[in-house]
Amino acid sequence: MIEAIVSLQNRDGGWPYRRGGPSWAEPTAYALLALGDEAAAQQAVQRGREFLASLRRKDGGLAPHPAVEESTWVTALYILTNPAQPDQGALDWLLRRTGRESTLLHRVRMKLLGVRDEYEAAPPAWPWYPDTAAWLVPTAVTVLALRRVQRQRPDPRVEERIRQGQRFLLVRRCADGGWNHGASRALGFQSFSYPETTGLALVALAGTQPPQIERSLEMAERHLARCRSAEGIAWLEMGLRAHGRTPARVPEAPARTVMDLALRVLAQRAAERANPLLS
Amino acid sequence: MKAITRREWISSAAATALTGCRKREPVKPSPVLIARAAYSQDLYDVVQRMLAELRLDVRGARVVLKPNLVEFDERTTINTHPVVVHAVLEALLALGAKEVRIAEGPGHRRNTWELAEAAGYFETVPQFEARFTDLNVDEVVPVTLDRPRSKLRRLYLPRTVLDCDWLVSLPKMKTHHWVGATLSMKNLFGVVPGAIYGWPKNLLHWAGIAECIADLHRLFTGGQKRPRLFALVDGVVGMEGDGPIHGVPKPVGALVAGYDLVAVDAACCRIMRIEPRKIPYLLLEARPGALEPEAIQEIGEPIRAFETPFELIPQFRSLRL
Repeated sequence: MIEAIVSLQNRDGGWPYRRGGPSWAEPTAYALLALGDEAAAQQAVQRGREFLASLRRKDGGLAPHPAVEESTWVTALYILTNPAQPDQGALDWLLRRTGRESTLLHRVRMKLLGVRDEYEAAPPAWPWYPDTAAWLVPTAVTVLALRRVQRQRPDPRVEERIRQGQRFLLVRRCADGGWNHGASRALGFQSFSYPETTGLALVALAGTQPPQIERSLEMAERHLARCRSAEGIAWLEMGLRAHGRTPARVPEAPARTVMDLALRVLAQRAAERANPLLS
Repeated sequence: MKAITRREWISSAAATALTGCRKREPVKPSPVLIARAAYSQDLYDVVQRMLAELRLDVRGARVVLKPNLVEFDERTTINTHPVVVHAVLEALLALGAKEVRIAEGPGHRRNTWELAEAAGYFETVPQFEARFTDLNVDEVVPVTLDRPRSKLRRLYLPRTVLDCDWLVSLPKMKTHHWVGATLSMKNLFGVVPGAIYGWPKNLLHWAGIAECIADLHRLFTGGQKRPRLFALVDGVVGMEGDGPIHGVPKPVGALVAGYDLVAVDAACCRIMRIEPRKIPYLLLEARPGALEPEAIQEIGEPIRAFETPFELIPQFRSLRL
């Protein structure tokens, strides 16, 4: 699998989501996490790091793609790939970021308009794109990035944002115990959870004992039993292991994307108790 | 997440008032072809006849089919049926298209391939994997919006869509809990790349859903060198109630096609017994008079033969035609 990941690297040093596609920050970051310190891949790793660094913008954040002139949530992935020496500008950018729904201006405006927010209780978390609302994946990934930094050099600001992010995940948990893209209900209707986001949220909640976690783990096991995507299976496996559960059976699924391959490697590392996302 | 029903209501009311004040000019009716269909082998012949009757000239053209893939739930019908997509693909190749790709960028599920597999696309469309482009992660190009209705001035859009000759919108006929109905125009949201704007593409919500639908539509109809639009709506079984995801299946037995997406969507609204003159994005993009019944040149079967009142959530009961 390591060879397969290296073979998919683009000439610019980045990785595409899928063979032949353009390089993006996200698959590049996951490829780097999967390759880790594999001796045979160090040249590819170095080129990948250079590609990610080339996406760094003056405001401290990272663009998701070379053509994009905006810093986005992928800044968390940049931190996640290099927690020992985090880019301070990128870290500050992340710590300043919140979903637009939690800004004072927005809350006052909604109050004046008489519009009720379905998630008023949710603490500040992270959006995909500036000036939009917070959602599950950017929040969970940022929590993972900040936790890696926190383990290296504790900082109360970072700790506070980790706690906020984890509380956000719990507020957005679906009634079935799992997680979807971050809308557990819409217009009062209960939404159902997805495999990949359920697994990711569980990884981001590792080390905590939130209420009703058993129900979430049971949902993850149900998802795993019928999951058909390599990405979903890998996240679910990592999520269960992050809470001390060993999956009874891990289904097979074709690896169609770089993310599929990279996450499968990370899931294997998790099985060896060496998940870099939690180290 | 943001509830914007009040603003939508205000914008809809203002647009309705403006439409009412405009001097009514005779509008050239847009042809909309409605055909009876079921999800069976016959659907291939029905689609072929529809495209031939509308004289869709795709000889030597690169065509992108944009179905509506959102989420999969076996209890309901969220996505464009794969048989409809395959039938259009086969018909276009038979008409001489140089290349036909299927492309979509789902707004909630990040794993497009798993979603497509669950929705039956791999099983139904031969060589689906080679024909499909995930628009969420495609190469992107910055595009400046021409006289935008929304707060957006620029969007990054997928090269696959911008470089084709024809963009064929293949939506499901559904109600929508924020904009009343989701049809061929709202389906254009799927071309906006998730790898930049996220899952969901929340920027479009904050910039105004109806206004962004209008901007995307205008992008392809504004006269710049862009792909031409064509639409074919899967109304064989639609979705009523709390669409576009949590609603329930609504059999109609119709396919609705045409070149003018405003006219196609207005015809679908009339089939669903929804007042098109109260749908904000149609009001933003319709020429004066274009949402009147006489602005639709009904070819094939008449709208009245398929009229099926779709259940509307309480917030949208005022849309009832």
